[in-house]
Amino acid sequence: MRRFAVALALVSLVATACLDDGPNAGSGDSASAREEADLTVSAASSLTDAFTEIGQAFEAANPGTAVTFNFGPSDGLAGQIDQGAPVDVFASASPTWMDSVQDDGPGVTDRAVFAQNRLAIIVPVGNPAGIQSLDDLTEDHVQLVLAAEGVPAGDYAREMFREAGISEAALANVVSNEEDVRAVITKLIAGDADAGIGYVTDVTPAVSNRVTVIPIADEVNVIATYPIAVVNGTQEVDLAKGFVDFVLGDGQRTLAEYGFLRPP
Amino acid sequence: MASSALRRGRTPAVFVVLAALGVALVALPLLGLLLRTPWSRVGEILTSETALTALRLSLVVATTAAAISFVLGLPLAWVLARGSFRGKTFVRALIVLPLVMPPVVAGVGLLAAFGRRSGLVGAWLYEWFGIQLTFTTAAAVLAATFVSFPLAVLVLEAGLRGLDERLEGAASTLGASRWYVLRRVTLPVMGPQIAAALVLSWARALGEFGATITFAGNLQGRTQTLPLAVFERLQTDPEAAFAISMLLIVVAFAVILALRGRFLR
Repeated sequence: MRRFAVALALVSLVATACLDDGPNAGSGDSASAREEADLTVSAASSLTDAFTEIGQAFEAANPGTAVTFNFGPSDGLAGQIDQGAPVDVFASASPTWMDSVQDDGPGVTDRAVFAQNRLAIIVPVGNPAGIQSLDDLTEDHVQLVLAAEGVPAGDYAREMFREAGISEAALANVVSNEEDVRAVITKLIAGDADAGIGYVTDVTPAVSNRVTVIPIADEVNVIATYPIAVVNGTQEVDLAKGFVDFVLGDGQRTLAEYGFLRPP
Repeated sequence: MASSALRRGRTPAVFVVLAALGVALVALPLLGLLLRTPWSRVGEILTSETALTALRLSLVVATTAAAISFVLGLPLAWVLARGSFRGKTFVRALIVLPLVMPPVVAGVGLLAAFGRRSGLVGAWLYEWFGIQLTFTTAAAVLAATFVSFPLAVLVLEAGLRGLDERLEGAASTLGASRWYVLRRVTLPVMGPQIAAALVLSWARALGEFGATITFAGNLQGRTQTLPLAVFERLQTDPEAAFAISMLLIVVAFAVILALRGRFLR
């Protein structure tokens, strides 16, 4: 029995590795054994709390279904889907990465914008560098942490610096380019960086007593747009569509509670 | 001969299948990388500024880490191989821990020790001397040293244990001082183990990722070593990520070749 379990574990691992090489490479049949009414949703890290709650509500409204979330940076998630990861619904923090799945990946249907988000300056509690505005980020010795280029939050932050005309001075203060905004906040909580740029919604109740949000004026702020869509090739088309509709419908209240703006 | 043939004949089929799967497990990702590497662009990618900067930084970080691992590792290996004191087993277990610890946990631990605000030592360093380690190349070196140090200690300790102590004894009866014996007898005899310790800890330091990005951050030219460059390129230029990965694999392969017949058999 144990030997069988080991063999099975190996087969499923190898079969997973084969997914990369195209549909013909994987011959294992155990890996494709999917539970009925199991939905896999890849969603931007910034959606972690709101979507976890929406997922529970969706499961309650659709007995017998199980929603599995895969949270991560939108660019990474899009890359996984383009490589053939079995994902039913994709929710991105920027249209760019939805475009990637639509044009370079398996393609999508039922695409819609479901939320918007604003950027904010986030500082460790106590604000050691005394940051009050975007301009303060350009002062000497301010240690600024951003999400890396390519990550929506990182690209939005750089775009905002350009529009505010502080690009060069602010980027000179960057000490680290992080995987996503959660990683930016981790660096701030540790207290080793002075400021970071993230979404307003990233300061969740779990971290709100350890970091402080400094709002950015609307005229220089960048509004992030979040698209959601059903990924082509899903085995659960109806359920996936149902989830997208749920996010656009009942889910809106939850998203608002977590600080997201309604779609335009 | 006959018995070995018999044994070979009796290899259970299930073992053959599982063994083949085991090889596939390691070979498939390597094959995938090989096939996905954009060979026509490799030259251009590896000579790009990003790659060269990361390569230069990686060489500095890995070499410094290997040197520190050796300088601190040899005395520790000596104490573990030849000293007798209470808690030796505990010390050895402690030293090996980074080898089996998730690197991101190592990074969190390094933050807890050397972070500028709440670090055990880091807060003090910052308050008294204004020294901040996080986000510096020194932090990348520290992270790389943390994970490569155990390898150096283990290999050096094994070397010291395998040493024929009569050689050293003969030298000292002939009037050689302890330092002379160490310099002219012990270290030369341990040459292969020292080389293996340096190469292995260097290779481990070169591949360090999790502790580095958690503790040192990710900034080109300062803390972005090759693995971090792979990680960042994966998001913006996947082909470049594959090319840099291939470079790291070639280096790893060279390390195995260099150690063949010496430390590994």
